[in-house]
Amino acid sequence: MRPAVHQTLALARRSIKDTFRFPQAWFPSYFFPLVLMAIFTASFGRSIGHIPGFPKVDGFLSFAMTGAIVQGVLISAVGAGGFFAGDIEHGFFDRLISSPTSRSAILVSRLVASMVLATMQAIFFMAVALAFGATIKGGVVGALVVIALAACLAIPIGGLGVLLALRTGSAEAVQGMFPLFFALMFFSSTFFPRETMTGWFRIVADINPISHLVEGMRAQVITGVDWQAAGVSLGIIAGLAVLTVGGSALSLRRRLEGN
Amino acid sequence: MTDAIVVEGLVREFKGGIRAVDGIDLHVPAGEVYGFLGPNGAGKSTTVRMLTTLLRPTGGRATVAGFDVLTDAASVRRSIGVALQDAAIDPFMTGRELLRLQAVLHAIPRAEGHSRAEELLDRVGLTDAADRRVGTYSGGMRRRLDLAMALVHEPVVLFLDEPTTGLDPTSRVALWEEVRRLNRESGTTVFLTTQYLEEADQLAGRVGIIDGGKIVAEGTPAELKSSIGDPTLMITPADPTKVADTARILSRFGPEAPGRPGTAAVRLATGAEGVAAVVRALDDAGIGTGSIDLHQPSLDDVFVIKTGHRLEGDASGDGAAPAGRRGRKGRG
Repeated sequence: MRPAVHQTLALARRSIKDTFRFPQAWFPSYFFPLVLMAIFTASFGRSIGHIPGFPKVDGFLSFAMTGAIVQGVLISAVGAGGFFAGDIEHGFFDRLISSPTSRSAILVSRLVASMVLATMQAIFFMAVALAFGATIKGGVVGALVVIALAACLAIPIGGLGVLLALRTGSAEAVQGMFPLFFALMFFSSTFFPRETMTGWFRIVADINPISHLVEGMRAQVITGVDWQAAGVSLGIIAGLAVLTVGGSALSLRRRLEGN
Repeated sequence: MTDAIVVEGLVREFKGGIRAVDGIDLHVPAGEVYGFLGPNGAGKSTTVRMLTTLLRPTGGRATVAGFDVLTDAASVRRSIGVALQDAAIDPFMTGRELLRLQAVLHAIPRAEGHSRAEELLDRVGLTDAADRRVGTYSGGMRRRLDLAMALVHEPVVLFLDEPTTGLDPTSRVALWEEVRRLNRESGTTVFLTTQYLEEADQLAGRVGIIDGGKIVAEGTPAELKSSIGDPTLMITPADPTKVADTARILSRFGPEAPGRPGTAAVRLATGAEGVAAVVRALDDAGIGTGSIDLHQPSLDDVFVIKTGHRLEGDASGDGAAPAGRRGRKGRG
């Protein structure tokens, strides 16, 4: 078992190094959420008191913080899928599977790397928001809960990236799925509360698991430590993780045995 | 273990019934450098992928280092070093990082892995470039790093899939030297695929020629060459009046062959080893030799005769793979 642990850690470290040595890989996942957070805060910052149904918050920035974190995790986890597909395309994957590397280490190392990257992102967005006047009602505990949930979220999203990579074997195909994730995020309460939405948009946001996931994280920031809300988020993450990580494990096996 | 690689009736059929490898048999004794020679799409890479556990055979069986590639793949992977075509190397990592990573993947303890990495960097001449990202390496440097990575765990059998394709002549010769040294010093069995006749001739103790998924000829380069004909020995006597005498003596060693004016030529039935005897016989007869010219059939000649076509990629590099064969791009 011990070699598998070392292999996982060494491969995760390689994935993280790769990400930071390739600006195209990490820059968008920090830049775009930051831009959106800034634009939304600048546009709606003073009107939140006047929008019917908008929950009581200290400021829009506090509200937007978790949205930025989730968005960042999503971008970088899809990027992880792109890297994984690149490994398949360029033959690094062949090098791994022709060596005694544990099969689970190949998969788990990607997820571990995504978790580490997500943790860094959560801390970064939180720090920026706090520096510009956001507050976290849940205090230190609330902040830690949000960071932990962000790290956990990297598992199902990273799993999805790997699943797509294993299915398509093409980095371009994985990156091509990107707009789909974005749409999924915009049709949710990631950036605006469901209470302000109407019609079919509201219905979609209501059934979109991302809404409930984000709200569970956001509750820690805008209302205070809320274990029940955190539990809902964790539940959704776990459910998605079973689907995507399970799916990628199956795809990995099929790729290895179906050869 | 006397045979490092044993292959019996190995078949790989892809979807659509294309047999990329169509029932091949191989015996590679431990310590040999075996050259697998064939054009693109002949089945070389498919064979290597099966022997390195990357692809499952659809028929026949194969053992590498004594382990079955299907039932004991894990043991095979521990015993082999693999440097695949196109040097699969992560461009964002440095040479040293990749070697250390490879050591971890082979479960080599940290300290030992680090010292092994230094040793190998030195061995393949990459110590100065060790902390540069691989993306900045030249083609030759990548291949050398690839080779070093394949050697981290001191494998019993080393697979090199077209190790010098696309390299400049200097880098090619340097890599050959490294492979020779490895085989000489560590006794590592080397299974090498190539589309370069010269490479097979230079490196391999034995050569198998594969075409259309089948082995069409096998033997040492010398055996293969002599199998298609004896070498021609052409003697120019120092005294031009002695051409007829020279021809008479030469006729004892084989049938007469066409020579240039002023020379006598013979197809040496005794092979190239017979040259000394011819020279002695001429010497005994008091005929001084002006020049001796021995023309061996080349592996090129062997290839043409055995397969009916020239090896593309060797000189011109433009011949398309024959229709119906599966190129490596189309691998499922």
